[in-house]
Amino acid sequence: MTAGPELTLDQLAGDAAVERLYRQVFAVLARESGAMISDVELLDVDEAILDAFADAGRDGLTVDQAVAACRPIDPGLIHRRFEVLRDYGAISKVVERPHERFHRAAFAPYVMLLFLRRLAEQGGQAELHQLLTLEHVSVTAPDAGPETGQTTISRLTRIFRHLGNELAILAAGSTAEQLGDHAQLLWGNKGLISQAEEVHTVVLTRWPQLDRECTALRIALAAYGDAVEKAAGRLIEQAGTTRALGLLSVETWLSFARTASEDDLAGVLDTFVFDAPAPWFSPNLLTEAVESGRSAATVRQPPPRPEGSAPPPPDDLRPADDATGLRETAERLLNSGDGDTVAVAAVLDGVGDWLAARRVLADLTAIHHHPDLEYELTWSDGFRVDPERSPAWASEGTFRRTA
Amino acid sequence: MTTDDDTTLWWARYRAAGPQRVAPASAYPAGMTRLVEPDASAVWLLPALPDNARPDVLDELGLAGVAVDQPNDTARVLAACLRCCWTEPSGPVWPAAPAPYDQVVAVFRAVTGNRDERALHAAAMGAARRLAGAGWVLFDEDARVVRLGPRVASWSAAELSTLRELWRSMPAPEREA
Repeated sequence: MTAGPELTLDQLAGDAAVERLYRQVFAVLARESGAMISDVELLDVDEAILDAFADAGRDGLTVDQAVAACRPIDPGLIHRRFEVLRDYGAISKVVERPHERFHRAAFAPYVMLLFLRRLAEQGGQAELHQLLTLEHVSVTAPDAGPETGQTTISRLTRIFRHLGNELAILAAGSTAEQLGDHAQLLWGNKGLISQAEEVHTVVLTRWPQLDRECTALRIALAAYGDAVEKAAGRLIEQAGTTRALGLLSVETWLSFARTASEDDLAGVLDTFVFDAPAPWFSPNLLTEAVESGRSAATVRQPPPRPEGSAPPPPDDLRPADDATGLRETAERLLNSGDGDTVAVAAVLDGVGDWLAARRVLADLTAIHHHPDLEYELTWSDGFRVDPERSPAWASEGTFRRTA
Repeated sequence: MTTDDDTTLWWARYRAAGPQRVAPASAYPAGMTRLVEPDASAVWLLPALPDNARPDVLDELGLAGVAVDQPNDTARVLAACLRCCWTEPSGPVWPAAPAPYDQVVAVFRAVTGNRDERALHAAAMGAARRLAGAGWVLFDEDARVVRLGPRVASWSAAELSTLRELWRSMPAPEREA
Protein backbone atom coordinates (compact mmCIF):
# COMPACT_ATOMS: atom_id res chain seq x y z
CA MET A 1 0.00 0.00 0.00
CA THR A 2 1.54 3.26 -1.07
CA ALA A 3 0.69 6.27 0.97
CA GLY A 4 0.99 9.48 -1.01
CA PRO A 5 2.17 12.58 0.81
CA GLU A 6 -1.19 14.29 0.39
CA LEU A 7 -3.16 11.64 2.32
CA THR A 8 -5.01 12.97 5.28
CA LEU A 9 -5.09 11.27 8.63
CA ASP A 10 -8.66 10.12 8.02
CA GLN A 11 -7.66 8.48 4.80
CA LEU A 12 -4.75 6.77 6.52
CA ALA A 13 -7.04 5.51 9.25
CA GLY A 14 -9.45 4.18 6.62
CA ASP A 15 -6.62 2.46 4.77
CA ALA A 16 -5.40 0.95 8.00
CA ALA A 17 -8.88 -0.42 8.73
CA VAL A 18 -9.10 -1.99 5.28
CA GLU A 19 -5.64 -3.42 5.62
CA ARG A 20 -6.49 -4.88 9.01
CA LEU A 21 -9.51 -6.58 7.48
CA TYR A 22 -7.41 -7.96 4.64
CA ARG A 23 -4.92 -9.32 7.11
CA GLN A 24 -7.66 -10.95 9.16
CA VAL A 25 -9.29 -12.45 6.11
CA PHE A 26 -6.10 -13.94 4.83
CA ALA A 27 -5.02 -15.26 8.20
CA VAL A 28 -6.74 -18.58 7.49
CA LEU A 29 -4.57 -19.03 4.43
CA ALA A 30 -1.28 -18.11 6.05
CA ARG A 31 1.27 -20.73 6.95
CA GLU A 32 3.35 -18.20 8.82
CA SER A 33 4.01 -14.57 8.35
CA GLY A 34 4.35 -13.99 4.64
CA ALA A 35 3.71 -17.49 3.34
CA MET A 36 0.68 -19.37 2.08
CA ILE A 37 -0.39 -22.62 3.63
CA SER A 38 0.48 -25.64 1.59
CA ASP A 39 -1.71 -28.14 3.36
CA VAL A 40 -5.49 -28.26 3.34
CA GLU A 41 -5.52 -29.82 6.78
CA LEU A 42 -4.34 -26.52 8.24
CA LEU A 43 -7.65 -25.06 7.09
CA ASP A 44 -9.38 -27.69 9.20
CA VAL A 45 -7.28 -26.64 12.17
CA ASP A 46 -8.21 -22.99 11.59
CA GLU A 47 -11.84 -23.91 11.35
CA ALA A 48 -11.64 -25.90 14.58
CA ILE A 49 -10.05 -22.95 16.37
CA LEU A 50 -12.62 -20.49 15.07
CA ASP A 51 -15.44 -22.92 15.91
CA ALA A 52 -14.08 -23.14 19.44
CA PHE A 53 -14.20 -19.35 19.71
CA ALA A 54 -17.77 -19.31 18.40
CA ASP A 55 -18.81 -21.85 21.05
CA ALA A 56 -16.90 -20.12 23.83
CA GLY A 57 -19.28 -17.24 24.28
CA ARG A 58 -18.44 -13.72 25.30
CA ASP A 59 -15.60 -14.48 27.68
CA GLY A 60 -13.25 -15.54 24.94
CA LEU A 61 -10.73 -18.30 25.22
CA THR A 62 -7.21 -18.79 26.49
CA VAL A 63 -4.78 -20.68 24.32
CA ASP A 64 -5.05 -23.73 26.55
CA GLN A 65 -8.81 -23.67 26.44
CA ALA A 66 -8.66 -23.49 22.66
CA VAL A 67 -6.31 -26.47 22.60
CA ALA A 68 -8.66 -28.39 24.88
CA ALA A 69 -11.65 -27.53 22.71
CA CYS A 70 -9.92 -28.83 19.61
CA ARG A 71 -8.80 -31.93 21.43
CA PRO A 72 -8.23 -34.58 18.77
CA ILE A 73 -5.87 -32.26 16.94
CA ASP A 74 -2.24 -32.13 17.92
CA PRO A 75 -1.79 -29.40 20.62
CA GLY A 76 1.48 -28.24 19.10
CA LEU A 77 -0.28 -27.65 15.79
CA ILE A 78 -3.04 -25.69 17.51
CA HIS A 79 -0.44 -23.54 19.28
CA ARG A 80 1.31 -22.75 16.04
CA ARG A 81 -1.89 -21.92 14.16
CA PHE A 82 -3.04 -19.83 17.09
CA GLU A 83 0.13 -17.78 16.86
CA VAL A 84 -0.26 -17.32 13.11
CA LEU A 85 -3.87 -16.24 13.46
CA ARG A 86 -2.88 -13.82 16.19
CA ASP A 87 -0.09 -12.40 14.04
CA TYR A 88 -2.60 -11.60 11.36
CA GLY A 89 -5.11 -10.15 13.80
CA ALA A 90 -7.70 -12.84 13.23
CA ILE A 91 -7.45 -13.52 16.95
CA SER A 92 -6.65 -10.74 19.37
CA LYS A 93 -6.55 -10.23 23.08
CA VAL A 94 -9.85 -9.38 24.75
CA VAL A 95 -8.21 -6.43 26.42
CA GLU A 96 -4.98 -5.14 25.00
CA ARG A 97 -2.64 -5.40 27.98
CA PRO A 98 0.36 -7.48 28.99
CA HIS A 99 -0.35 -10.95 30.37
CA GLU A 100 -3.91 -10.94 29.10
CA ARG A 101 -4.83 -14.58 28.66
CA PHE A 102 -8.22 -14.40 27.02
CA HIS A 103 -8.60 -13.91 23.29
CA ARG A 104 -11.43 -13.09 20.95
CA ALA A 105 -11.77 -13.99 17.29
CA ALA A 106 -12.84 -11.74 14.42
CA PHE A 107 -15.71 -12.94 12.25
CA ALA A 108 -14.20 -11.99 8.88
CA PRO A 109 -11.72 -14.92 8.79
CA TYR A 110 -14.54 -17.36 9.39
CA VAL A 111 -16.58 -15.90 6.54
CA MET A 112 -13.50 -16.16 4.38
CA LEU A 113 -13.09 -19.76 5.43
CA LEU A 114 -16.64 -20.56 4.38
CA PHE A 115 -16.07 -18.93 1.01
CA LEU A 116 -12.84 -20.83 0.53
CA ARG A 117 -14.55 -24.10 1.30
CA ARG A 118 -17.28 -23.46 -1.22
CA LEU A 119 -14.81 -22.26 -3.83
CA ALA A 120 -12.74 -25.36 -3.31
CA GLU A 121 -15.77 -27.60 -3.70
CA GLN A 122 -17.34 -25.99 -6.73
CA GLY A 123 -14.54 -24.11 -8.40
CA GLY A 124 -16.15 -20.73 -7.97
CA GLN A 125 -18.99 -21.39 -10.32
CA ALA A 126 -21.68 -21.07 -7.68
CA GLU A 127 -20.04 -17.93 -6.33
CA LEU A 128 -20.10 -16.47 -9.78
CA HIS A 129 -23.79 -17.17 -10.05
CA GLN A 130 -24.38 -15.56 -6.68
CA LEU A 131 -22.26 -12.60 -7.64
CA LEU A 132 -24.27 -12.13 -10.79
CA THR A 133 -27.50 -12.33 -8.81
CA LEU A 134 -26.17 -9.74 -6.37
CA GLU A 135 -25.14 -7.48 -9.22
CA HIS A 136 -28.57 -7.88 -10.72
CA VAL A 137 -30.15 -6.92 -7.41
CA SER A 138 -27.88 -3.93 -7.03
CA VAL A 139 -28.49 -2.52 -10.51
CA THR A 140 -32.25 -3.01 -10.23
CA ALA A 141 -32.38 -1.35 -6.82
CA PRO A 142 -34.44 1.87 -7.10
CA ASP A 143 -31.73 4.03 -5.56
CA ALA A 144 -28.92 2.77 -7.80
CA GLY A 145 -27.18 5.39 -9.89
CA PRO A 146 -25.19 5.22 -13.10
CA GLU A 147 -21.99 4.77 -11.07
CA THR A 148 -23.34 1.52 -9.64
CA GLY A 149 -24.16 0.36 -13.13
CA GLN A 150 -20.74 1.29 -14.40
CA THR A 151 -18.85 -0.51 -11.65
CA THR A 152 -21.08 -3.52 -12.02
CA ILE A 153 -20.57 -3.68 -15.74
CA SER A 154 -16.81 -3.26 -15.52
CA ARG A 155 -16.58 -5.92 -12.83
CA LEU A 156 -18.53 -8.37 -14.93
CA THR A 157 -16.44 -7.51 -17.97
CA ARG A 158 -13.29 -8.35 -16.05
CA ILE A 159 -14.69 -11.59 -14.71
CA PHE A 160 -15.70 -12.85 -18.11
CA ARG A 161 -12.44 -11.73 -19.65
CA HIS A 162 -10.62 -13.75 -17.02
CA LEU A 163 -12.76 -16.78 -17.66
CA GLY A 164 -12.55 -16.48 -21.41
CA ASN A 165 -8.80 -15.88 -21.48
CA GLU A 166 -8.02 -18.80 -19.23
CA LEU A 167 -10.17 -21.12 -21.26
CA ALA A 168 -8.95 -19.89 -24.62
CA ILE A 169 -5.33 -20.36 -23.61
CA LEU A 170 -6.08 -23.83 -22.30
CA ALA A 171 -8.02 -24.76 -25.41
CA ALA A 172 -5.25 -23.57 -27.67
CA GLY A 173 -2.22 -25.02 -26.00
CA SER A 174 -2.85 -27.62 -23.35
CA THR A 175 -3.36 -31.34 -23.39
CA ALA A 176 -6.81 -32.80 -23.25
CA GLU A 177 -6.22 -33.97 -19.71
CA GLN A 178 -5.39 -30.47 -18.51
CA LEU A 179 -8.44 -29.22 -20.30
CA GLY A 180 -10.50 -31.86 -18.59
CA ASP A 181 -9.20 -30.75 -15.21
CA HIS A 182 -10.46 -27.26 -15.92
CA ALA A 183 -13.66 -28.46 -17.46
CA GLN A 184 -15.64 -26.96 -14.61
CA LEU A 185 -15.20 -23.63 -16.36
CA LEU A 186 -17.34 -25.09 -19.10
CA TRP A 187 -20.30 -26.20 -17.05
CA GLY A 188 -23.30 -23.97 -16.60
CA ASN A 189 -21.76 -21.31 -18.75
CA LYS A 190 -25.04 -20.80 -20.57
CA GLY A 191 -26.60 -19.83 -17.27
CA LEU A 192 -23.72 -17.50 -16.44
CA ILE A 193 -23.87 -15.80 -19.81
CA SER A 194 -27.61 -15.34 -19.75
CA GLN A 195 -27.47 -13.99 -16.19
CA ALA A 196 -24.78 -11.54 -17.26
CA GLU A 197 -26.88 -10.57 -20.26
CA GLU A 198 -29.82 -9.84 -17.98
CA VAL A 199 -27.69 -7.51 -15.90
CA HIS A 200 -26.42 -5.96 -19.10
CA THR A 201 -29.97 -5.36 -20.37
CA VAL A 202 -31.05 -3.78 -17.12
CA VAL A 203 -28.05 -1.44 -17.09
CA LEU A 204 -28.40 -0.53 -20.73
CA THR A 205 -32.10 0.32 -20.43
CA ARG A 206 -31.68 2.26 -17.20
CA TRP A 207 -28.57 4.17 -18.13
CA PRO A 208 -28.18 4.38 -21.92
CA GLN A 209 -25.07 6.53 -21.47
CA LEU A 210 -23.17 3.39 -20.33
CA ASP A 211 -23.29 2.09 -23.87
CA ARG A 212 -19.52 1.84 -24.20
CA GLU A 213 -19.08 -0.23 -21.05
CA CYS A 214 -21.95 -2.45 -22.10
CA THR A 215 -20.30 -3.06 -25.44
CA ALA A 216 -17.14 -4.17 -23.65
CA LEU A 217 -19.20 -6.58 -21.59
CA ARG A 218 -20.90 -7.96 -24.69
CA ILE A 219 -17.51 -8.53 -26.29
CA ALA A 220 -16.21 -10.26 -23.19
CA LEU A 221 -19.28 -12.48 -23.05
CA ALA A 222 -18.98 -13.40 -26.72
CA ALA A 223 -15.28 -14.16 -26.27
CA TYR A 224 -16.09 -16.38 -23.31
CA GLY A 225 -18.76 -18.16 -25.30
CA ASP A 226 -16.33 -18.74 -28.16
CA ALA A 227 -13.68 -20.05 -25.79
CA VAL A 228 -16.20 -22.43 -24.27
CA GLU A 229 -17.21 -23.69 -27.69
CA LYS A 230 -13.64 -24.17 -28.72
CA ALA A 231 -12.61 -25.94 -25.54
CA ALA A 232 -15.71 -28.11 -25.55
CA GLY A 233 -15.08 -28.92 -29.19
CA ARG A 234 -11.58 -30.04 -28.38
CA LEU A 235 -12.76 -32.09 -25.45
CA ILE A 236 -15.42 -33.77 -27.55
CA GLU A 237 -12.95 -34.42 -30.32
CA GLN A 238 -10.54 -35.98 -27.84
CA ALA A 239 -13.30 -37.92 -26.18
CA GLY A 240 -14.46 -39.16 -29.56
CA THR A 241 -11.05 -40.46 -30.53
CA THR A 242 -9.60 -41.59 -27.26
CA ARG A 243 -12.75 -42.74 -25.51
CA ALA A 244 -11.20 -40.99 -22.54
CA LEU A 245 -14.31 -40.92 -20.41
CA GLY A 246 -12.23 -39.47 -17.62
CA LEU A 247 -12.30 -36.13 -19.37
CA LEU A 248 -15.62 -35.51 -17.72
CA SER A 249 -16.37 -36.30 -14.13
CA VAL A 250 -18.17 -39.55 -13.42
CA GLU A 251 -21.11 -37.69 -11.98
CA THR A 252 -21.56 -35.79 -15.21
CA TRP A 253 -21.80 -38.99 -17.20
CA LEU A 254 -24.11 -40.57 -14.66
CA SER A 255 -26.47 -37.65 -14.49
CA PHE A 256 -26.51 -37.47 -18.26
CA ALA A 257 -27.34 -41.14 -18.53
CA ARG A 258 -30.08 -40.83 -15.92
CA THR A 259 -31.72 -37.67 -17.08
CA ALA A 260 -31.30 -37.85 -20.84
CA SER A 261 -34.26 -38.67 -23.02
CA GLU A 262 -34.12 -41.58 -25.42
CA ASP A 263 -33.40 -39.22 -28.27
CA ASP A 264 -30.47 -37.70 -26.41
CA LEU A 265 -29.04 -41.10 -25.67
CA ALA A 266 -29.51 -42.23 -29.24
CA GLY A 267 -27.92 -38.99 -30.37
CA VAL A 268 -24.65 -40.13 -28.88
CA LEU A 269 -24.44 -42.77 -31.59
CA ASP A 270 -25.92 -40.61 -34.30
CA THR A 271 -22.88 -40.54 -36.50
CA PHE A 272 -21.94 -44.18 -36.03
CA VAL A 273 -22.95 -46.98 -38.35
CA PHE A 274 -22.43 -50.48 -37.17
CA ASP A 275 -21.30 -53.01 -39.68
CA ALA A 276 -23.29 -56.15 -39.83
CA PRO A 277 -21.20 -59.13 -38.84
CA ALA A 278 -21.28 -60.56 -42.35
CA PRO A 279 -18.09 -62.34 -43.30
CA TRP A 280 -16.56 -61.80 -46.70
CA PHE A 281 -15.44 -64.80 -48.69
CA SER A 282 -12.94 -63.98 -51.37
CA PRO A 283 -12.53 -66.54 -54.15
CA ASN A 284 -8.96 -67.11 -53.06
CA LEU A 285 -10.17 -68.02 -49.63
CA LEU A 286 -12.66 -70.46 -51.10
CA THR A 287 -10.00 -72.02 -53.29
CA GLU A 288 -7.57 -72.32 -50.42
CA ALA A 289 -10.19 -73.87 -48.18
CA VAL A 290 -11.14 -76.44 -50.80
CA GLU A 291 -7.52 -77.28 -51.52
CA SER A 292 -6.66 -77.67 -47.87
CA GLY A 293 -9.78 -79.78 -47.41
CA ARG A 294 -8.52 -82.13 -50.10
CA SER A 295 -5.08 -82.48 -48.60
CA ALA A 296 -6.61 -83.08 -45.21
CA ALA A 297 -8.78 -85.71 -46.87
CA THR A 298 -5.85 -88.01 -47.55
CA VAL A 299 -5.53 -91.10 -45.40
CA ARG A 300 -4.42 -90.25 -41.95
CA GLN A 301 -0.76 -91.08 -41.54
CA PRO A 302 0.02 -93.54 -38.77
CA PRO A 303 2.70 -92.34 -36.39
CA PRO A 304 6.22 -93.32 -37.48
CA ARG A 305 7.30 -96.76 -36.40
CA PRO A 306 10.67 -98.47 -36.66
CA GLU A 307 11.15 -100.65 -39.72
CA GLY A 308 10.84 -104.44 -39.36
CA SER A 309 10.06 -106.41 -36.23
CA ALA A 310 11.39 -104.91 -33.06
CA PRO A 311 14.15 -106.88 -31.22
CA PRO A 312 13.03 -108.26 -27.87
CA PRO A 313 13.91 -105.96 -24.98
CA PRO A 314 16.92 -106.94 -22.83
CA ASP A 315 16.28 -109.53 -20.21
CA ASP A 316 16.51 -107.27 -17.22
CA LEU A 317 13.73 -105.11 -18.60
CA ARG A 318 11.30 -107.99 -18.99
CA PRO A 319 8.78 -108.32 -16.22
CA ALA A 320 9.69 -111.27 -14.06
CA ASP A 321 6.96 -113.82 -13.63
CA ASP A 322 7.83 -116.14 -10.78
CA ALA A 323 4.39 -117.76 -10.57
CA THR A 324 5.78 -121.27 -10.88
CA GLY A 325 8.40 -120.68 -8.20
CA LEU A 326 5.84 -119.19 -5.90
CA ARG A 327 3.42 -122.05 -6.55
CA GLU A 328 6.10 -124.57 -5.61
CA THR A 329 6.82 -122.67 -2.42
CA ALA A 330 3.12 -122.51 -1.60
CA GLU A 331 2.63 -126.24 -2.16
CA ARG A 332 5.69 -127.05 -0.12
CA LEU A 333 4.46 -124.91 2.79
CA LEU A 334 0.94 -126.26 2.59
CA ASN A 335 2.22 -129.80 2.55
CA SER A 336 3.99 -129.08 5.81
CA GLY A 337 0.48 -128.55 7.23
CA ASP A 338 -2.62 -130.53 6.32
CA GLY A 339 -2.28 -129.83 2.57
CA ASP A 340 -4.89 -127.07 2.40
CA THR A 341 -4.20 -124.84 5.36
CA VAL A 342 -1.16 -124.02 7.39
CA ALA A 343 -0.65 -121.63 10.28
CA VAL A 344 1.81 -118.84 9.59
CA ALA A 345 3.36 -119.23 13.03
CA ALA A 346 4.05 -122.90 12.33
CA VAL A 347 5.69 -122.04 9.02
CA LEU A 348 7.88 -119.44 10.65
CA ASP A 349 8.83 -121.88 13.40
CA GLY A 350 9.76 -124.41 10.78
CA VAL A 351 12.43 -122.27 9.12
CA GLY A 352 14.25 -121.39 12.30
CA ASP A 353 15.88 -118.00 12.43
CA TRP A 354 14.27 -114.67 11.59
CA LEU A 355 16.42 -114.00 8.53
CA ALA A 356 14.96 -117.01 6.80
CA ALA A 357 11.54 -116.48 8.35
CA ARG A 358 11.14 -113.03 6.93
CA ARG A 359 12.01 -114.34 3.48
CA VAL A 360 9.25 -116.90 3.85
CA LEU A 361 6.89 -114.18 5.02
CA ALA A 362 7.73 -112.12 1.91
CA ASP A 363 7.04 -115.16 -0.25
CA LEU A 364 3.68 -115.70 1.44
CA THR A 365 2.71 -112.10 0.85
CA ALA A 366 3.78 -112.30 -2.77
CA ILE A 367 1.76 -115.50 -3.28
CA HIS A 368 -1.25 -113.86 -1.65
CA HIS A 369 -1.07 -110.87 -3.98
CA HIS A 370 -0.26 -112.75 -7.17
CA PRO A 371 -3.32 -112.59 -9.42
CA ASP A 372 -2.77 -116.03 -10.94
CA LEU A 373 -2.21 -118.02 -7.76
CA GLU A 374 -5.19 -119.30 -5.83
CA TYR A 375 -3.76 -119.06 -2.30
CA GLU A 376 -4.55 -116.56 0.35
CA LEU A 377 -3.08 -115.29 3.54
CA THR A 378 -5.51 -114.25 6.26
CA TRP A 379 -4.74 -112.63 9.55
CA SER A 380 -6.81 -112.85 12.67
CA ASP A 381 -6.74 -111.04 16.00
CA GLY A 382 -4.36 -112.04 18.73
CA PHE A 383 -0.81 -113.16 18.59
CA ARG A 384 1.57 -115.53 20.22
CA VAL A 385 4.39 -114.28 22.37
CA ASP A 386 7.17 -116.65 23.34
CA PRO A 387 10.61 -115.26 24.19
CA GLU A 388 12.18 -118.69 23.73
CA ARG A 389 11.45 -118.87 20.07
CA SER A 390 12.44 -116.89 17.06
CA PRO A 391 10.58 -114.78 16.08
CA ALA A 392 9.60 -114.10 19.63
CA TRP A 393 6.07 -113.01 18.67
CA ALA A 394 3.91 -113.86 15.71
CA SER A 395 0.40 -112.81 14.68
CA GLU A 396 -2.07 -115.57 14.28
CA GLY A 397 -2.50 -116.04 10.57
CA THR A 398 -3.32 -118.82 8.21
CA PHE A 399 -2.16 -119.54 4.72
CA ARG A 400 -4.56 -121.59 2.69
CA ARG A 401 -5.66 -122.71 -0.73
CA THR A 402 -8.70 -120.90 -2.02
CA ALA A 403 -9.61 -123.04 -4.98
CA MET B 1 -35.92 -40.51 -57.38
CA THR B 2 -35.05 -40.64 -53.72
CA THR B 3 -33.59 -37.95 -51.55
CA ASP B 4 -30.15 -37.98 -50.01
CA ASP B 5 -31.57 -38.92 -46.66
CA ASP B 6 -33.26 -41.95 -48.15
CA THR B 7 -30.05 -43.02 -49.81
CA THR B 8 -28.20 -42.68 -46.54
CA LEU B 9 -30.81 -44.75 -44.79
CA TRP B 10 -30.62 -47.47 -47.42
CA TRP B 11 -26.88 -47.70 -47.04
CA ALA B 12 -27.19 -47.81 -43.29
CA ARG B 13 -29.78 -50.57 -43.59
CA TYR B 14 -27.50 -52.55 -45.85
CA ARG B 15 -24.58 -52.19 -43.52
CA ALA B 16 -26.62 -53.11 -40.49
CA ALA B 17 -28.74 -55.91 -41.90
CA GLY B 18 -27.17 -57.10 -45.13
CA PRO B 19 -28.80 -57.15 -48.57
CA GLN B 20 -32.30 -55.73 -48.55
CA ARG B 21 -35.25 -57.49 -50.09
CA VAL B 22 -37.86 -55.07 -51.41
CA ALA B 23 -40.89 -55.14 -53.63
CA PRO B 24 -39.98 -54.99 -57.32
CA ALA B 25 -41.69 -51.68 -57.96
CA SER B 26 -40.30 -49.80 -54.98
CA ALA B 27 -37.92 -46.91 -55.31
CA TYR B 28 -34.28 -47.72 -54.83
CA PRO B 29 -31.37 -45.47 -53.93
CA ALA B 30 -28.48 -44.43 -56.06
CA GLY B 31 -25.42 -46.66 -56.13
CA MET B 32 -27.25 -49.87 -55.46
CA THR B 33 -27.56 -52.83 -57.78
CA ARG B 34 -30.97 -54.40 -58.17
CA LEU B 35 -30.93 -58.16 -58.19
CA VAL B 36 -34.26 -59.47 -59.42
CA GLU B 37 -35.45 -62.78 -58.09
CA PRO B 38 -35.90 -65.39 -60.83
CA ASP B 39 -39.67 -65.20 -60.55
CA ALA B 40 -39.54 -61.40 -60.34
CA SER B 41 -41.41 -61.47 -57.04
CA ALA B 42 -38.88 -59.35 -55.23
CA VAL B 43 -35.70 -57.39 -55.69
CA TRP B 44 -32.55 -57.53 -53.63
CA LEU B 45 -30.63 -54.32 -53.20
CA LEU B 46 -26.89 -54.71 -53.13
CA PRO B 47 -24.50 -51.76 -53.07
CA ALA B 48 -22.25 -51.38 -56.06
CA LEU B 49 -18.97 -50.64 -54.34
CA PRO B 50 -16.00 -49.10 -56.12
CA ASP B 51 -12.96 -51.34 -56.45
CA ASN B 52 -11.01 -49.68 -53.68
CA ALA B 53 -13.81 -49.86 -51.13
CA ARG B 54 -14.67 -53.52 -51.30
CA PRO B 55 -14.26 -55.90 -48.36
CA ASP B 56 -11.22 -57.56 -49.91
CA VAL B 57 -9.32 -54.31 -49.38
CA LEU B 58 -8.96 -55.55 -45.81
CA ASP B 59 -6.80 -58.40 -47.12
CA GLU B 60 -4.56 -56.01 -48.99
CA LEU B 61 -4.16 -53.91 -45.86
CA GLY B 62 -3.49 -56.97 -43.78
CA LEU B 63 -6.43 -56.28 -41.50
CA ALA B 64 -8.72 -58.88 -40.04
CA GLY B 65 -12.21 -58.93 -41.45
CA VAL B 66 -15.32 -60.12 -39.70
CA ALA B 67 -14.51 -63.35 -37.97
CA VAL B 68 -16.62 -66.37 -38.78
CA ASP B 69 -16.80 -69.65 -36.92
CA GLN B 70 -14.98 -72.52 -38.61
CA PRO B 71 -13.93 -70.38 -41.57
CA ASN B 72 -12.54 -73.25 -43.60
CA ASP B 73 -15.60 -75.47 -43.42
CA THR B 74 -17.85 -72.51 -44.07
CA ALA B 75 -15.84 -71.58 -47.13
CA ARG B 76 -15.94 -75.20 -48.33
CA VAL B 77 -19.72 -75.35 -47.97
CA LEU B 78 -20.00 -72.10 -49.89
CA ALA B 79 -17.81 -73.57 -52.60
CA ALA B 80 -20.01 -76.68 -52.63
CA CYS B 81 -23.13 -74.52 -52.94
CA LEU B 82 -21.46 -72.68 -55.76
CA ARG B 83 -20.66 -75.94 -57.50
CA CYS B 84 -24.21 -77.21 -57.15
CA CYS B 85 -26.20 -74.05 -57.80
CA TRP B 86 -24.12 -72.32 -60.46
CA THR B 87 -25.26 -74.54 -63.28
CA GLU B 88 -24.04 -72.21 -66.01
CA PRO B 89 -20.55 -71.14 -64.95
CA SER B 90 -20.04 -69.25 -68.16
CA GLY B 91 -22.83 -66.88 -67.19
CA PRO B 92 -23.42 -64.59 -64.23
CA VAL B 93 -23.54 -66.09 -60.78
CA TRP B 94 -26.93 -64.54 -59.95
CA PRO B 95 -29.60 -65.88 -60.04
CA ALA B 96 -28.40 -69.44 -59.77
CA ALA B 97 -30.55 -72.52 -59.74
CA PRO B 98 -31.75 -74.04 -56.50
CA ALA B 99 -30.07 -77.28 -55.49
CA PRO B 100 -31.03 -79.94 -52.98
CA TYR B 101 -29.16 -79.66 -49.74
CA ASP B 102 -28.13 -83.31 -49.88
CA GLN B 103 -26.34 -82.63 -53.13
CA VAL B 104 -24.39 -79.84 -51.44
CA VAL B 105 -23.51 -82.18 -48.61
CA ALA B 106 -22.34 -84.77 -51.11
CA VAL B 107 -20.00 -82.28 -52.76
CA PHE B 108 -18.85 -81.10 -49.36
CA ARG B 109 -18.10 -84.70 -48.44
CA ALA B 110 -16.16 -85.11 -51.66
CA VAL B 111 -13.95 -82.10 -50.95
CA THR B 112 -13.39 -82.90 -47.30
CA GLY B 113 -12.66 -86.60 -47.66
CA ASN B 114 -13.38 -89.33 -45.19
CA ARG B 115 -14.76 -87.64 -42.18
CA ASP B 116 -17.08 -89.01 -39.59
CA GLU B 117 -20.59 -88.81 -41.06
CA ARG B 118 -22.15 -87.10 -38.06
CA ALA B 119 -19.35 -84.55 -37.81
CA LEU B 120 -19.66 -83.94 -41.53
CA HIS B 121 -23.39 -83.26 -41.35
CA ALA B 122 -23.00 -81.05 -38.30
CA ALA B 123 -20.26 -79.04 -39.99
CA ALA B 124 -22.27 -78.70 -43.22
CA MET B 125 -25.47 -77.65 -41.46
CA GLY B 126 -23.68 -75.13 -39.25
CA ALA B 127 -21.86 -73.66 -42.20
CA ALA B 128 -25.04 -73.48 -44.29
CA ARG B 129 -26.85 -71.65 -41.51
CA ARG B 130 -23.97 -69.24 -41.07
CA LEU B 131 -23.89 -68.55 -44.79
CA ALA B 132 -27.65 -68.07 -44.86
CA GLY B 133 -27.43 -65.65 -41.96
CA ALA B 134 -24.93 -63.53 -43.82
CA GLY B 135 -26.84 -63.60 -47.10
CA TRP B 136 -24.36 -65.72 -49.03
CA VAL B 137 -26.86 -68.48 -49.60
CA LEU B 138 -30.61 -68.77 -49.27
CA PHE B 139 -31.28 -71.92 -47.33
CA ASP B 140 -34.77 -73.31 -47.03
CA GLU B 141 -34.26 -75.67 -44.15
CA ASP B 142 -37.69 -77.33 -44.36
CA ALA B 143 -37.55 -78.03 -48.06
CA ARG B 144 -33.80 -78.74 -47.80
CA VAL B 145 -33.09 -76.58 -50.80
CA VAL B 146 -30.13 -74.25 -51.18
CA ARG B 147 -29.78 -71.27 -53.49
CA LEU B 148 -27.02 -68.76 -53.84
CA GLY B 149 -27.79 -65.60 -51.90
CA PRO B 150 -27.67 -62.03 -53.17
CA ARG B 151 -24.27 -61.39 -51.69
CA VAL B 152 -22.60 -63.56 -54.33
CA ALA B 153 -23.37 -60.84 -56.84
CA SER B 154 -20.77 -58.65 -55.15
CA TRP B 155 -17.96 -60.80 -56.59
CA SER B 156 -16.30 -58.89 -59.41
CA ALA B 157 -15.67 -60.23 -62.91
CA ALA B 158 -12.03 -61.03 -62.10
CA GLU B 159 -13.06 -62.88 -58.99
CA LEU B 160 -15.67 -64.79 -60.93
CA SER B 161 -13.02 -66.14 -63.27
CA THR B 162 -11.10 -67.44 -60.24
CA LEU B 163 -14.30 -69.02 -59.06
CA ARG B 164 -14.82 -70.64 -62.44
CA GLU B 165 -11.42 -72.30 -62.04
CA LEU B 166 -12.51 -73.52 -58.64
CA TRP B 167 -15.82 -74.67 -60.09
CA ARG B 168 -14.07 -76.77 -62.69
CA SER B 169 -11.70 -78.29 -60.18
CA MET B 170 -14.45 -79.45 -57.89
CA PRO B 171 -16.24 -82.78 -58.24
CA ALA B 172 -19.53 -82.54 -60.05
CA PRO B 173 -22.67 -83.23 -58.06
CA GLU B 174 -24.80 -86.17 -58.99
CA ARG B 175 -27.63 -84.70 -60.99
CA GLU B 176 -31.00 -86.13 -60.38
CA ALA B 177 -32.70 -87.60 -63.36
